[in-house]
Amino acid sequence: MQLTRKSNTATTVEKKTLGISRRQFMKQAGITSGGIAAVSLLGTGMMRRAEAKDVPHNAPTEIKRTVCSACAVGCGLYAEVQNGVWTGQEPAFDHPFNAGGHCAKGAALREHGHGEKRLKYPMKLVDGKWKKLSWEQALNEVGDQMLDIRKESGPDSLYFMGSAKFSNEGCYMYRKFAAMWGTNNVDHSARICHSTTVAGVANTWGYGAQTNSFNDIQNANAIFFIGANPAEAHPVAMQHIMIAKERNNAKLIVVDPRFTRTAAHADLHCGLRPGTDIPFIYGMLWHIFENGWEDKTFIQERVFEMESIRVEAKKFPPKEVAHITGCSEEEVYQAAKLMADNRPGTVVWCMGGTQHHVGNANTRAYCILQLALGNMGVKGGGTNIFRGHDNVQGATDLGLLFDTLPGYYGLKTGSWKHWSHVWDLDFDWVKNRFDQTSYLGRIPMNTPGIPCSRWHDGVLETPEKLAQKDRIRMAFFWGQSVNTETRQRDVRDALDKMDTVVVVDPFPTMAGVMHRRQNGVYLLPACTQFETEGSVSNSGRSQQWREKVIEPLFESKTDLEIMYRLSQKLGFADEFTKRIGKDANDVLVIEDITREINRGMWTIGMSGQSPERLKLHTQNWGTFSNKTLEAVGGPAKGDTYGLPWPCWGTPEQKHPGTQILYNTHKHVLEGGGNFRARFGVEYKGENLLAEGSYSVGSEIQDGYPEFTAAMLKQLGWWDELTATEKAEAEGRNWKTDLSGGIQRVAMKHGCIPYGNAKARCIVWTFPDAVPVHREPLYTPRRDLVSKYPTYDDMQVHRLPTLYKSIQEKDTAAKYPLGLTSGRLVEYEGGGEESRSNPWLAELQQEMFVEINPADAADRAIRDGDTVWLEGAEGGRIKIKAMVTPRVKPGVTWMPYHFAGEMHGESLAANYPEGTVPYVIGESANTALTYGYDPVTQMQETKASLCQIVKA
Amino acid sequence: MNKWFKHIGIAIALLFSVTAFAHDGAEHEHDAQANNGQIWSQLKAGAEGYTTSTSEFHAQPINTYDLRVLELRSDLLAPALMAALFGMIIIFIVFIKVNGISKLHGGFSGKLVYRWSKFDVSIHWLGAIPCLLLILTGLTLLAGRFFFQPYIGEGLWSNLVYAAKQVHDFMAIPFMLGWALMTALWAKNQLPKMYDVKWMMVVGGYINFGPFKGKHPDAGFANAGEKLWFWAFAVFGLVISASGMLLLFPNLFEPSRTLSLIALVLHSVSAIIITAFSIVHIFMATVMSEGGMECMVSGYCDETWATQHHNLWFDEIKENGTLKYKE
Amino acid sequence: MATMKFLCDTKRCIECNGCVTACKNENDSALEWGIQRRRVVTINDGEKGEASISIACMHCSDAPCMAVCPANCFYKTEDGIVLHDKDTCIGCGYCLYACPFGAPQFPQGGAFGARGKMDKCTFCAGGPEENHSDAERQKYGANRVAEGKLPMCAELCATKSLLAGDAEIVSAIFRERVAYRGSKNAIWG
Repeated sequence: MQLTRKSNTATTVEKKTLGISRRQFMKQAGITSGGIAAVSLLGTGMMRRAEAKDVPHNAPTEIKRTVCSACAVGCGLYAEVQNGVWTGQEPAFDHPFNAGGHCAKGAALREHGHGEKRLKYPMKLVDGKWKKLSWEQALNEVGDQMLDIRKESGPDSLYFMGSAKFSNEGCYMYRKFAAMWGTNNVDHSARICHSTTVAGVANTWGYGAQTNSFNDIQNANAIFFIGANPAEAHPVAMQHIMIAKERNNAKLIVVDPRFTRTAAHADLHCGLRPGTDIPFIYGMLWHIFENGWEDKTFIQERVFEMESIRVEAKKFPPKEVAHITGCSEEEVYQAAKLMADNRPGTVVWCMGGTQHHVGNANTRAYCILQLALGNMGVKGGGTNIFRGHDNVQGATDLGLLFDTLPGYYGLKTGSWKHWSHVWDLDFDWVKNRFDQTSYLGRIPMNTPGIPCSRWHDGVLETPEKLAQKDRIRMAFFWGQSVNTETRQRDVRDALDKMDTVVVVDPFPTMAGVMHRRQNGVYLLPACTQFETEGSVSNSGRSQQWREKVIEPLFESKTDLEIMYRLSQKLGFADEFTKRIGKDANDVLVIEDITREINRGMWTIGMSGQSPERLKLHTQNWGTFSNKTLEAVGGPAKGDTYGLPWPCWGTPEQKHPGTQILYNTHKHVLEGGGNFRARFGVEYKGENLLAEGSYSVGSEIQDGYPEFTAAMLKQLGWWDELTATEKAEAEGRNWKTDLSGGIQRVAMKHGCIPYGNAKARCIVWTFPDAVPVHREPLYTPRRDLVSKYPTYDDMQVHRLPTLYKSIQEKDTAAKYPLGLTSGRLVEYEGGGEESRSNPWLAELQQEMFVEINPADAADRAIRDGDTVWLEGAEGGRIKIKAMVTPRVKPGVTWMPYHFAGEMHGESLAANYPEGTVPYVIGESANTALTYGYDPVTQMQETKASLCQIVKA
Repeated sequence: MNKWFKHIGIAIALLFSVTAFAHDGAEHEHDAQANNGQIWSQLKAGAEGYTTSTSEFHAQPINTYDLRVLELRSDLLAPALMAALFGMIIIFIVFIKVNGISKLHGGFSGKLVYRWSKFDVSIHWLGAIPCLLLILTGLTLLAGRFFFQPYIGEGLWSNLVYAAKQVHDFMAIPFMLGWALMTALWAKNQLPKMYDVKWMMVVGGYINFGPFKGKHPDAGFANAGEKLWFWAFAVFGLVISASGMLLLFPNLFEPSRTLSLIALVLHSVSAIIITAFSIVHIFMATVMSEGGMECMVSGYCDETWATQHHNLWFDEIKENGTLKYKE
Repeated sequence: MATMKFLCDTKRCIECNGCVTACKNENDSALEWGIQRRRVVTINDGEKGEASISIACMHCSDAPCMAVCPANCFYKTEDGIVLHDKDTCIGCGYCLYACPFGAPQFPQGGAFGARGKMDKCTFCAGGPEENHSDAERQKYGANRVAEGKLPMCAELCATKSLLAGDAEIVSAIFRERVAYRGSKNAIWG
């Protein structure tokens, strides 16, 4: 039998190249004539650029170092560019985060260079038809309408929805743009992502970020996932988790209503009922306290008020926990025991924990578990909170939020003064940009704006109930998919009601297509992050410098250019870019923006990460260890990859970055730390500062408050400042001294600039001082409502917010199935981008709901049937049923990435020609319901109710 | 045979790696995790699972079947089909050289007796011409790579095999039609009778030496040899058509891969039998039996031929008055 | 000579489909919607015992597809990679029946919805055309092997579950992993 070919040189049979085909002609026309000729040949909407297959293989290749834009792991890769076309993607085996690995989205990244379904040029909806515009005309019209509305309704009637897809520079400038416009109505998807984490965690120990790093998980002996599914949401993180599992025999515990892909690799899976995280954690703590497994020394030295937790945990004996959560007593015991026996252990959570109306309390409960076990500030421990979007950490840090300025400075007058100082602007000028009137007792400049989760309430609510002059009349949806917000029917009504809708995005997105308008919608094509450069922060607070891979496709422009041009139109460009240079083409010098960020971000130590240092790290990522993230040699020797903040002081001080927060085993100059003194020095007469615990090398060998000029003087360290530092530092503190002198001197003495305090288990400023279990607003367990009721209705910032009035109504009879939502590995966020990527879209072509075989049998539904799912507020969606044991009886699950259909009807006709994604489907959020966290306005997407019937 | 198992085995082992390490850490694992040995045995048993691919058979990681099928095809069926075609031709040529043909005693009478209707003649050729083409193209497809490809150029081979596939696919339809009509319409004349046994005993009287020389056994409308051919054709024609349909219209019948392989083998086996019979049939009609070919040209046979080869039939039609001469 | 193989470590595979899209990305020029050269299958989905595994052509040492192909369009490279010539392929589908792994796939085309030219994983080694020629890219996709690289799917695997390369090296890596997992009786073969 002939199995091998006889000759190695295979004969080439009949090359079918008889002349030039129409197809080939079109291709070549696309390359050579570009723009106009190609457009006239192919018609509008068919404009195409050269594609990889059009470029000869031997064309010279440029290699660009870039970072995946899919999630916050921050995977690096090499992009190969030939003749200006992104022709290849090579794994970066030497990258410290991913070692060349990618999930489906990262492996399909090069499609960004095709952009077949992208928005090609500015467009405007005129009498129901999309009309092409020039950039100039588009920005003029948009700007005029902004100014008109400002005149009539004040600056707060504009809404600025931002994006976690911006570079750090983009995030910062967008927040600054809103400030210069004079409003706090600016927000982005962190609101519906980890806002409750940031609030809950920062209020526990100082900062609201992932405390350790993905790589550090390799050191863990136990990994506790609650509401986290990294196998599908952060697949590359599993690389490190698997190493811990294989090398340390680390125990994996997955607490999730679904048997997820992560659960398949776990030692223990606890399928709790959605919305019962707090009882589950108290159930574990009950065992921990009962058996004396808590770390008593750690608690005594570094934790405030664990006693309140003991009291609360007493209320959750095993039987009660099993009754509430649906997990067996044995499962809860095993979870506690595995965590107690295998230290250090780390806790990982994501949207399953945060997206609840008690989200902030959930996150505090997880922190308290780690505090009880003494797992904080150590290798292999910590709370590894995996962020979602590629730069959601950066966007949060840079204050692209309704309730703070960059660096978590808040909105107090002092905060505004600090940033005015950073911007080199007169505070009064900034102040005068705002509406000076007070509404419902709140002053707009110092009151959080309207959140991303509820901008539609800002449109639909009567103006009298809003703590601002008028309702929202015009909104920018800049890199945000509105289909990720619950109550889609209200979102649609709000889109209909506004004067003008402006979408700035590489894709039309749902804000551009789901409304029923005939006029007043603008689509402005922004380019992706691969068509520009800038820094990006991963979940572990490391920053990388993304190189520009290709020039902006079609007529798209960078976010920064659009903002700058708009500011010129609106007349505040000079103030907006006062300290930022412009190149010969009047384009902002991006490094100057990074330097301005460094100039102001003292609170979180984002001050030492100069563009030069970030570029050095990215260019030499191969010199950093995949295990420790540290460079043992090379030009960045001694640094931690990406200078994870806090990277204290000025760039010249060369702080190496802090991989593990609150780690007392290291000197502050090497990335050591302790819990932050953020909440004062005492509470009700009790000491809040650390007792006998301090970081290595600290000259103050006990707790101490945050550093101020006065404190330096008291300590006799004032004269260690230089004369220029003294001039700047006088009367300021470590957060507002732009010279960095206070930080420098504090660290010279081994002290952390933010002080040394205890973490706190009670947050007296929150609605619940300790985490309290409250049944979801739409709960299937009516029997538990009286014992674990929700809050009373209340006003949160500018919006009235409902709780009890919703929970009082018994919806469980009509909607007996629990409903929760989550992610698919192939898609990301609202999915507009990933569903437009054919390599990904092919893998998930239909929206579906997972339903247990028992529930399906009751409804005569078979796998693959089309069903109507009706949410508890009546939103109906027509989708496919996936009958699977992944979900328990009584629970259903939907992915949230789909959009483009509503109530069974396709919206494809509303898209501009050639921009309909490859896959469209019903949005899960059409069926999802009301429910907002009282602290952060996080939406409830994880615990609702529904009914399913066969279509 | 072991060779196949060995090599496939290595591939599978490399794929799953679990056979080799059936015990890795199993004793520490909690229930939630799959035990390697269990995974392996499930996969070997052809377990199906969830996949995002919509391609056919993609839900099943491993399809197991008896790999001897492959060698059966290459080592046995392919040479057998060659033998059925070329071997039979050679045997017949040798036989005729030695034996000579069956001449009509006393030459042609000139009187032509009605034997087949025009319709019968046309359905014969409806089946026969495609059958010949199917044999030739089928041979190319089954055995060509072993027997022809080494002697012809790469380009010619790919054109040849492509043409063979196209012709084979298209000819299948008329062939099946012809087969179905012939089988249905002619069966009643092909029922076996007692005298067929005697016919068989003397091999139809075609042998011109030894004890068989000069015998002329009785035969009705069809002689025993023809009946044997008819029934073989009916049965194996059914098998070849049914298996062929599975292979030709996989989207219609959606056969499993194993069923397709079985169909492939049955198709080949049937082809070998039909081919061998076809050669005999063609030789008999054209060379061996003088005057035989006329039947399937005009539908009439010479009276001498009728009396010599189908005496009982001739007697019968004479008796019942259905005898009809060509005008 | 090297003998190239794939190995999927089911203990690490998380069904992230990175390998699937890596393949789509790298071989974009030759693939169409609906043809996935590699796929991940999860057995016991959503239950105890769930396990995922990435599967494509396994480049068998004695490949059934080669044995069964009427057109003899398959050949084996010096590295043990099983490739095929699409110009010779007649679309009969026998290789699909014979392949234990379901690797060969056929685009629809021709009369009665007949199969077009077979497509399967090439181990990112292209086809019989001249290396990196347009014809090779259009028919077979990438030729990474000619550049001294390994297949994209394995190179991009998120958890390093899918390994590709010389059989000996691949099995050595796996053996080391198993040793770390604290295996007893870890004997190869």
